[in-house]
Amino acid sequence: MHVIKKLLVVLLIAFIIIQFIRPVRNKSEQVLPTDITKTFNVPDSVLNLLKISCYDCHSNNTNYPWYSNIQPVAWLLDSDVKNGKDKLNFSDFGSYTKRRQQSKLRSIASQIQDNKMPISNYTMIHSDAILTADKKALIIDWSNKTKDSLSSLN
Amino acid sequence: MKQIFSIIAISLLLLSACKTKDIAETNATETQTDQLYACSMHPEVIGKKGEKCSKCSMKLTVPVKEDAPETTIADTTATAPTTDKTSITTTPSKISIKGLLDPYIQLKNALTKDNSNDAAKAGKALEAAFKSFDKSALSVEQKKTFDDIEEDAREHAEHIGANAGKIAHQREHFDMLSKDMYDLVKAFGAGQTLYKDFCPMYNDNKGAIWLSESKEIKNPYYGKSMLTCGSMKEELK
Repeated sequence: MHVIKKLLVVLLIAFIIIQFIRPVRNKSEQVLPTDITKTFNVPDSVLNLLKISCYDCHSNNTNYPWYSNIQPVAWLLDSDVKNGKDKLNFSDFGSYTKRRQQSKLRSIASQIQDNKMPISNYTMIHSDAILTADKKALIIDWSNKTKDSLSSLN
Repeated sequence: MKQIFSIIAISLLLLSACKTKDIAETNATETQTDQLYACSMHPEVIGKKGEKCSKCSMKLTVPVKEDAPETTIADTTATAPTTDKTSITTTPSKISIKGLLDPYIQLKNALTKDNSNDAAKAGKALEAAFKSFDKSALSVEQKKTFDDIEEDAREHAEHIGANAGKIAHQREHFDMLSKDMYDLVKAFGAGQTLYKDFCPMYNDNKGAIWLSESKEIKNPYYGKSMLTCGSMKEELK
């Protein structure tokens, strides 16, 4: 019995200590000149969907849930956000080459079409991020049109 | 004390929620009753969805629209880039992209055999080849062209390498990668005879190209199910 009690105390202390190790938050008020809204025409209807369903991991502004204040939740979120931004960052979309922008726009459409994005472990918690068929069509249509406008430039 | 334990319990619950794998793959099946479909290879054959073409027994997949002859778009892109032949001959032969083409061809061949694991290996090899490519012989202008293509192509190669077992996803990136590789060959020369082949069906019938080392058509987008489908559009040197 004593052993279990000691173990719990140790775990508790460890739990309290890790609360102080916090990753830097992905929050930036500044809108970069390379933001997608500065480089492409994004209608408000589409932008709102992107903000709700994609921006937590694919922009410079994450909308943090309350439980992200409890470690190790924030660490996990941090790695997801880093990974997501590495693949696609709407806040810095204009810095990609035209070629890469086209690839990204096509991948956005196909990932959403195939229900690969937003990923299911994200929508489990953020049910508002789930894209209905109408919303999916809206983003896919915008993505395809934007991509076509790019390819006609070349 | 009890409260703290309940907090631990909640955070553990959240953790496990984050780790659960992607199971929910809903099949979005759209049922349109009156829509007619045509065969993608024989547009004159028309029937209901799910029926098979009388000429090649492929499923009828192309929705028939009365006012949109979309097939012409694919044809113009396939025939357009024949004008800049002079740039090939003026390119110094010192620059060789063979190290990049070899793993690409391996990748293409793996996909024609529906072999996702070999495709992943070749994808990784291509990514490595891009990383170690010696750019010192490139002029400023050439380096700009190369970097532009590399930024995109390397990411596709990386994705193909990381997605063993998901051949559909690999093929999607192979489509975009093939355009990059074609531009690369156009800019720097192939150093060998290559063929630009065209599959009219892939990507919702928008079509897709690939590069091949042999004249014989072997379709990397559909593999065994439609191996000889496609046509040669251009010979590259």
